[in-house]
Amino acid sequence: MPGNRLDPQKMALRAAQEIRPGETAAIGSGLAAAIPGEVPAGSGVWLLAESGALGYRPGGASSVIDGVGETAIVLPGGVVVGTVDVAAMLGGGHVDLAFVEAAQVSANGDFVHWTTAETASLAAPGLAVDLASGAKRVVAMMTHAHEGGISRIHERCTLPVDGVGCVSVIITDIAVLLVTISGLELAEVAPGWSADDIASMTEAPLSVASGLREMTFDVPTLPWPNKVYASAAEAVQDIPDGAVVNVDGFGGPGGMAHYLMVALRDHGAKGLTIISNTAGIARVARFGAPEGVTPIDHTILVENGQIAKAIASYPVSPSINRPSAFERAYQEGESTLEVSPQGTLAERVRSGGAGVAAFYTPTAFGTLLGEGKEVRDIDGRPYVLEQSILADFCIIRGHKADSLGNMVYRGTSRNFNPVMATAARVTIVEVDEIVDPGELDPEAIVTPGVFVDRIVKRPKEFSPYLDT
Amino acid sequence: MNTSSGTRLNRVYHSASAALTGLASGATLLVGGFGGHHLPDNLLGALVESGAADLTIICQGAGVPTPGRTDIHALVEGGLVRKLVSPLPFDPRQGGSVKQRWEAGQLELEVQPVGVLVERIRAGGAGIGGSFLPTGAGTRFAEGQEVRVIDGREHIFQTAIKADFALLRAAVSDTLGNLVYSGTGRNWNPVMAMAAGVTVAEVDEIREPGGIDPETVITPAIFVQRIVLTS
Repeated sequence: MPGNRLDPQKMALRAAQEIRPGETAAIGSGLAAAIPGEVPAGSGVWLLAESGALGYRPGGASSVIDGVGETAIVLPGGVVVGTVDVAAMLGGGHVDLAFVEAAQVSANGDFVHWTTAETASLAAPGLAVDLASGAKRVVAMMTHAHEGGISRIHERCTLPVDGVGCVSVIITDIAVLLVTISGLELAEVAPGWSADDIASMTEAPLSVASGLREMTFDVPTLPWPNKVYASAAEAVQDIPDGAVVNVDGFGGPGGMAHYLMVALRDHGAKGLTIISNTAGIARVARFGAPEGVTPIDHTILVENGQIAKAIASYPVSPSINRPSAFERAYQEGESTLEVSPQGTLAERVRSGGAGVAAFYTPTAFGTLLGEGKEVRDIDGRPYVLEQSILADFCIIRGHKADSLGNMVYRGTSRNFNPVMATAARVTIVEVDEIVDPGELDPEAIVTPGVFVDRIVKRPKEFSPYLDT
Repeated sequence: MNTSSGTRLNRVYHSASAALTGLASGATLLVGGFGGHHLPDNLLGALVESGAADLTIICQGAGVPTPGRTDIHALVEGGLVRKLVSPLPFDPRQGGSVKQRWEAGQLELEVQPVGVLVERIRAGGAGIGGSFLPTGAGTRFAEGQEVRVIDGREHIFQTAIKADFALLRAAVSDTLGNLVYSGTGRNWNPVMAMAAGVTVAEVDEIREPGGIDPETVITPAIFVQRIVLTS
């Protein structure tokens, strides 16, 4: 008899080692649900439960539960979100890894959640299909074999699968297997087990890693990566020429990331595409700016020759006599323009952030803005197909952020900011105040830090007007 | 319902039964909650008493049956439900009324991944006709569905869902229906609030307008038609 089989707690300890600093890890049901109890309190990771707890551990007697209905505590820096947000985090690729319980896994990384031969006629995936489809890495947890010794790991799954080719690591009660392009590789064995033991219990070809080692069960306390940058200039310095950039704001002045915009101008990246409600009208509309000052808006980027294209809903000046800088650039052929109705623009950005590829909207059907777009009749009404948009960078303004990037806004400066934060590879925020994790009410956070990569504090004395 | 002045809207109903006025047999209902947690208990109780039948219920799932409680299992057991739409209609390892009725052919199930179902509800609430989602491509959830390759990845066409009623549970409402939730009681409620003809919220506390910080309201009153205090 080889060594003992690991109990669920040991498996959870080993699974917790898969999480890297600052990652967001979605916790599935079954064996995976034990992981949060094994991650040291204060570790720099966010665990996400289907229930909407983000950054939690078991315990407490509050109104917070985890994904399997046990009471939980939202940790400092954690957030409470709704189901639609959980789905969007997964769908939009904002979750770094997911832990799922598997009834079967195949050599190419397909997995079956908990369907058995008896329940095969019933699909009951819960969140498992979303985890498989959305997380960047999927770790399967399972007992290696049925009680009779029949392997749960197969060359091909024999039951309907819940995820296709998604599993990269398999943690069982006797081993750790990696799914590689050349098949399964045995990386670790439980104490007392040999590679031959494992191979004999695995119904799929198995290669043995050259560095085969024994499983360990220490879970380090991970540091939070630093998201706070010393200056706007440092936060924007890697925005390359040709980048697509979400630029915040309704029109202005509320919610404009003036400090970041000036830094982006000084940085000088050219050929940018900006996604924004306007293409810069604060300069001409002024929005109550005092006499003799010049409001900062997109105009500073346009005048610096940095904008190749705008995707916007309100790209013109409200006054025909005072065209905006972007209008002039467009008229002179220096910039191109894609116009979306405002709701469509917001929905396209949201879709990009949530992993919705395209959607049908009735908005703009039969108008110029609907021309050339696929039309579909749905319940007797014509809809046009709109594509999602995703940016490389996002520069927005919030009111307060904690050092993990959880953010609240003030008044209507909220506008496009929360949705834009979700739809960029790198989201950079400018805030008036940076506080410690736990200082913001987790139920009142509007933008979870999961969406925020870099934070800069807007200097108190920073003026929203050019000092010319 | 209006207050005596007639100038300010009052959406507060005095009983759960009254708050379900107009809910008829054959209706489609969105029911908030997560498993058996944070359910609109009073509304579900009134629903059983209302005699409505042949209902389609869209919810996260029935959860573990709780004897004596009017939960989704009880609605199904009472014969009110024709069809259940859910990502996890019941725990396959625990069963309960939902499983029994389904196996006996007395209950229709439509099962979809969480993200698919919740996006369909959101689409219904936001006026989107349908959308293309990658979730479930290559699995049985794609079978018989319209699949389109977008940016090199398979996506499944998903239609929008709208319901006749939404029965929700929130922590606090003002008399207009602005809602906040408590903890993970938020779950499916905010998105469901958007997608029903009549949204009814059962709440623990009702305040005057202005009694909730406008920056912390999760469900704006524009989505809520009726409010009832839980007992």
